[in-house]
Amino acid sequence: MSSTPTAIAGLGMTELGRVYGRTPAQFALEAVTGAAADAGLSLDDIDGLLVNPGVGNDTDLRLQSTLQLRGLRLLSTVQGFGSSAIQMVQYASMAISAGMAEVVACVYADAPLKEGKGSGAAYAGGDRALKGVESLPAAAGLKSAPARYAIAARRHMEAYGTTSEQLGAVAVAARQWATMNPLAQMREPITLADHQNSRLIADPLRLLDCCLVSNGAIAVIVTSADRAADLAQPPVHVWGWGQSHPGYPNHRDSDFGLVSGAAQSGPAALRMAGVTVDDIDIREIYDCFTYTTLITLEDYGFCAKGEGGEFVASGALAPGGSHPTNTGGGELSSYYMWGMTPLSEAVIQARGQAGQRQVAKNDLVMVSGNGGVLDFHATLVVSPHARNA
Amino acid sequence: MTMGAEMSMTPVVRDEYSAPFFDGAERGELMLRYSPSSGCWSAPEARVCATSRAADLEWRVASGEGELVSWTVIPGRPRDGRPTTDTVVGIVETAEGPWLTLRIVNADEAAPAVGAPVRVEFVRPEGGESVPVARLAARS
Repeated sequence: MSSTPTAIAGLGMTELGRVYGRTPAQFALEAVTGAAADAGLSLDDIDGLLVNPGVGNDTDLRLQSTLQLRGLRLLSTVQGFGSSAIQMVQYASMAISAGMAEVVACVYADAPLKEGKGSGAAYAGGDRALKGVESLPAAAGLKSAPARYAIAARRHMEAYGTTSEQLGAVAVAARQWATMNPLAQMREPITLADHQNSRLIADPLRLLDCCLVSNGAIAVIVTSADRAADLAQPPVHVWGWGQSHPGYPNHRDSDFGLVSGAAQSGPAALRMAGVTVDDIDIREIYDCFTYTTLITLEDYGFCAKGEGGEFVASGALAPGGSHPTNTGGGELSSYYMWGMTPLSEAVIQARGQAGQRQVAKNDLVMVSGNGGVLDFHATLVVSPHARNA
Repeated sequence: MTMGAEMSMTPVVRDEYSAPFFDGAERGELMLRYSPSSGCWSAPEARVCATSRAADLEWRVASGEGELVSWTVIPGRPRDGRPTTDTVVGIVETAEGPWLTLRIVNADEAAPAVGAPVRVEFVRPEGGESVPVARLAARS
């Protein structure tokens, strides 16, 4: 089997947040067009398209005709929820390596926010009748993502002594980074007291433990490292990847809440990259909730299992800290584009284009995607340097 | 009292698969899945044995005893100017092993805690089947 090194050569981002009046397909069109232009390519150069349709499932293979793409050699939707963006880069790399495509656009687009309605309504279920034993959790009241993550977070807190204040430290650090990100939706600094005083959404999770909800789209262009070298932007080389989908048993001895898919996916990506966790300079972690950042860092091995609380409270994640993490503000403070949030910031940091928030040492960036309630996990290790340079 | 739970829980209707579960609930019996070949219990939604993947699952009556694994409290939001009660939902590990996600009906009387003993009861929200809920053992 051939193995062609790949790189992310283009990044396209629409206006993100409370942006109304556009459909997900329209957002996707703008993001893919922007990503191609960013790479110095035209839409005619794209011969592969991977589409992550977001929670609304509104965007699909018809995006091909929206973009007027001709003669694609690769076309598929990828629905791994929050792990999708990283999965798409992995599949694009494999397709390029196999000679199946040369220039693959990967796009996430969604528009869950409706004008005049709150963020909470964006992901609320409809009024469909609940049916069968599968719906018992929802019937009991476990309907929202915060409530489901709250039960997971509580389990970690009870097992390891993780505290709400430690979760708050994750939110404060993310906001510190966001103050320096012009694209971030939330740029007002917050304190730990602000976190503790924010209203409970689903105990133990408070408002400031929860991610934003955003409309928009982000796309990346993946191509061979050789081709990327001749394009408009500094290549962001793909060094390693991994996936892990734990399939927690709904049964005694389940690790649900205690260990995530990061525990397998992270080491696999590091092994493929030929590096260790100590070599990583920047972490872009899927942070749908503060707890997700904490458990992912733990499971990647940036600290010992159960010591994530102390680790994040040490200031390690914040600007000037020992382990710069979610350097754009993450999903908590910048924008919520599922896995494209951490991936886009990884590209910006690896290129050295993060301006005031640029981390000086950016040789290796680790990126995570997390979907479901810790059900799906994908990891990427990227670098501004070619793999064997 | 479980009246509050009945009022605030979303009704569930049965499908062909779940009919024995809800028939059991109507009798006040908790039905779980059991694999005779492996001797292992699985959660109600399991189509194959969670331990052995055997396809010989059958519905059996469980003890209805369990303990609390984790939980969340979802604050009640005022409606029509009046406060509503908090919703407490937890993962209950049944004595047989499978987990159930259940409304906890008496968190105001007994504080939720990891390992707290739980007894499964049943309520019938209007328009739906009888469904299981969890009652925490009172503080001693």
